[in-house]
Amino acid sequence: MEYVYAVVILIGLYIVLAASFNLIIGYGGLISIAHPIFYAIGAYASAILSRDYGFPIPLAMLAGTLIALVASIMVALPSLRVSGDYLLIASIGFQLGLIEVFKNASWTGGAGGFTNIPAALSASVPREVYVAIVVVVAALAALLVRAIAHGPYGRAMAAMRDDEVAFSALGRNAVAMKVGTFALGSALAGFAGAFYAHYFRFVAPEQFDILQSSVVLTMVVVGGIRSTWGPVVGAVLLQALPQAITFLNLPPAVLGPLQGLLFTGLVLVFMFVRPQGLVSAGEVWSATRKGSEHARS
Amino acid sequence: MLSFDIVAQILWTSFATSSYFVLFALAFALVLKVNRAFNFAQAAMMTVAFYAAYTCVALWGLPGWVGFAAALAASIILAIVIEVFGFRTLRRRRADQIFVFIFTLIVSEVVAFLAMLVFGTWPSTIFPSLFWPVTLVGNVAVSQWDIPAVGVAVSSVVVLFGFLRFTRTGQFMVAVADNPDLAELYGIAKQRIYLATMLTAAVLVALGMFLYGTRAQVQPTTAIDLMLFAIAATIIGGIGNLWGAALTAVVLGVVQNSSVLFIPSEWQGFLLYLFLFVAIVFLPNGVKLPARRRLTRKTVAPDLVGAGSQES
Amino acid sequence: MMTTRFPTRRALIAAAGFFAGLTITGAMAQETLKFGLAMPLSGGQALYGQDQVKAAEWAVAAINAAGGVNGKKLEMVLLDTRADPQAGIQAANRLVSVEKVPVFVSAWSAVVKAIAPVANDNKVVQLSVGANSADIARLGDYTYTTFPLADVDISAVANHAATKLGKKRAAVLYINNETGVVAAQIYRDVFSKAGGQVVAYEAYDPKASDWTGSLLKVRAANPDIIHIQGLVADTPQVIAQMRQLGLTVPVSSYSAVYNPKLIEQLGKAAEGVIATSLAPGVEDKAVADYVERWRKEVGREPNGLPYTQYLYDAPYIVAAVFKALDDKKLPLTGENFRREMVATKTFDLPLTGRLTINENHTVNKPVFLMEVKNGKWVQLAVVE
Repeated sequence: MEYVYAVVILIGLYIVLAASFNLIIGYGGLISIAHPIFYAIGAYASAILSRDYGFPIPLAMLAGTLIALVASIMVALPSLRVSGDYLLIASIGFQLGLIEVFKNASWTGGAGGFTNIPAALSASVPREVYVAIVVVVAALAALLVRAIAHGPYGRAMAAMRDDEVAFSALGRNAVAMKVGTFALGSALAGFAGAFYAHYFRFVAPEQFDILQSSVVLTMVVVGGIRSTWGPVVGAVLLQALPQAITFLNLPPAVLGPLQGLLFTGLVLVFMFVRPQGLVSAGEVWSATRKGSEHARS
Repeated sequence: MLSFDIVAQILWTSFATSSYFVLFALAFALVLKVNRAFNFAQAAMMTVAFYAAYTCVALWGLPGWVGFAAALAASIILAIVIEVFGFRTLRRRRADQIFVFIFTLIVSEVVAFLAMLVFGTWPSTIFPSLFWPVTLVGNVAVSQWDIPAVGVAVSSVVVLFGFLRFTRTGQFMVAVADNPDLAELYGIAKQRIYLATMLTAAVLVALGMFLYGTRAQVQPTTAIDLMLFAIAATIIGGIGNLWGAALTAVVLGVVQNSSVLFIPSEWQGFLLYLFLFVAIVFLPNGVKLPARRRLTRKTVAPDLVGAGSQES
Repeated sequence: MMTTRFPTRRALIAAAGFFAGLTITGAMAQETLKFGLAMPLSGGQALYGQDQVKAAEWAVAAINAAGGVNGKKLEMVLLDTRADPQAGIQAANRLVSVEKVPVFVSAWSAVVKAIAPVANDNKVVQLSVGANSADIARLGDYTYTTFPLADVDISAVANHAATKLGKKRAAVLYINNETGVVAAQIYRDVFSKAGGQVVAYEAYDPKASDWTGSLLKVRAANPDIIHIQGLVADTPQVIAQMRQLGLTVPVSSYSAVYNPKLIEQLGKAAEGVIATSLAPGVEDKAVADYVERWRKEVGREPNGLPYTQYLYDAPYIVAAVFKALDDKKLPLTGENFRREMVATKTFDLPLTGRLTINENHTVNKPVFLMEVKNGKWVQLAVVE
């Protein structure tokens, strides 16, 4: 059924977003909340190229991903050269500024949004195919992040998180690693964005603002930061649960802000009661005992 | 187009309306400087301050000063809650910076949702009318809101300056801002200073929001938008530089307003982001002001040793 | 002998039961005619959405009390969109595939646009009621609006200013978002065409709280009327600042300012402000009764009164088309609904009068120009 497919696809896309965000803030230890803007760049770029410039859709999606990648490097490189905190400021400014551009430029459809995006699969292909593709992509994204975290790159990231000074003293380039992590995570987000655009066929700037950032943030924090399946659990929970609640037929005056309160309240509770999230991360690379105790606090 | 009257009018009105932005920027910059926390939860403080005043004045018909007292009380209470139950706990756990930021973001959203639940989303003002009578000074229209607003902003800046320079708590705040661990070694109770900073910010926020809410309409999400300006002013003015932030708030307001005389009006909103971009890329340490040096030089260890041993 | 009677009696009872069962299940199967309503019940727009839903619910109850559609009950399936495009898509999907409605009512431009592909792909009619983006007329075969789109009321007020009020120099001040930009262009084009001159054309940022620069520019251009295209959150402040800066010329705006709060907030400064409304006001008896019912049952006037009027009338449109299909014994599918609705074309509705749905997915309605006189809104003119 169309309804179930849409929910499954959204869950799949949010799994990609949460996993890639986990890569950036969890494994990379970077501070950024601008993840949705790269989702937006992938979506808008792919949509504009395919609708207005006649790009075939797979090519447009690839282009969208690359543009998101390049944009993320443009943001991360100058900011990380200053400091880690600076990335937060730069990324927020970038997110809000770019949303302003989307709202004002005519070639993005303006504040009203970009309509009539061509569908990825022609009407003759059954919907299930698209759903299957997204599910596979989501699984691959989660596994990719896991592979990175458990591999040598992940070990280096853990070292950088533990003690950046020592890391640099060993001759590793912390800035390059951070930029690389940020770029990879953002590219994945862009890729997911392209998928979104060609399934739902409408994008509007308001869908990618700070509120969206906190949704993805919640998925990672509640699901379990720095764990492989945490973000997956977070994504499923935070997409499926609101849908399930709507079937309970609660009176609308109650349902309303209460839903928003419920999920932000959930984050607060988790942050203070169980900061490791639903799926706690077994520390992948625990050096000394002191190091792992510190990590588990 | 650029007659003296027009320039004077723009300068005056922008200066007056920048009063609340100065207060918001100072509050944000202060917490960033002393507590080293990106206090996005300031939006929550702003929201509760406004709705406390709104409830007293617009809903219950109490006089304006009661409304202001309520705003002050609400903002202070929330500041205490955020600091004691939030920041202190996260500090004790040595939580990642991202956690602290998420916390402040979520607090802002929770408060916004609560406000939506209780007050709805219709835009509202503290006083039922937002029209303030005008007198003409020369050819410049000065409204009855302008003078008190400017007065509040200027006196707040002066009092804050005096507070930080001349009172013990203020000097401790500057010390903690410079080097918290060193300050602790000298006997300064860090936790108490962090709380004091939040309380100071709460006062500034209550003042600013009362000013804003008597001139413009507010919805539960307005504070989050206003924060952007405060954050931009802080970044451009130089992180850690309070007076830079305050000055930048004024300058940004004036520039934004006068820009319509030179550039197409559609680009006005974008100007802010442009300045932010320039500041981030080319001026990572912000606009330098000489005053900063003087302030730090004054609070040197010998003063603190004598004061600190009686304090802790 | 007795044995042969039993089967007969039993058979009779069984037959009676069978037929009774048939009619009962038959009646239950035809019991309700469903249509959907996708509105913001939560979130920032809920204060409008909930009032609009209440109006629609009243209409459905009134229709059913008067006998329903050929004796069958009209049932409205209500879902929350939070005025968010993504949530709107979910709601539409649910209405289409789970509730299987042939038609549903939606509102808020971004939501309507997002849902359009769902409506088109599944051949279910989307009735947009209240959204006024001009794009809505171009969202495919299955999206129709019952509410006039942006150009209708702006053209009316621009024309009125140029022709009836004799204004020659207009200044346009608009908020820099989709509503503002499009509407400002329409005003400019129509005013110029009617013989006037647009002497100032200034945008302002949605986040602005100070309009001195733009207003001074407008003042320097010396207009004899100023048209503001903003939102309910900022227009009162703009007007206040305008008056403070010595701009005493008449101000016109659109339906966003047409509410009693404006007068409360601006006091004397609200005198002479002209706003548009796309529905008859309390001069119309039906509307007066409707407003009185709100005061009695809810204790206040509805938020966005004209929009609630259109939402009250929407179930009547649905009921009328359902009736036509039922009379013709056609199945209630989206395709049939669309064909029948377009064929019927004209509907006489209780709170908004006559509605004509055009081929090009637009509607034309009279525009009511309202003016603040002596601290109250009064009707200034009606423009066809």
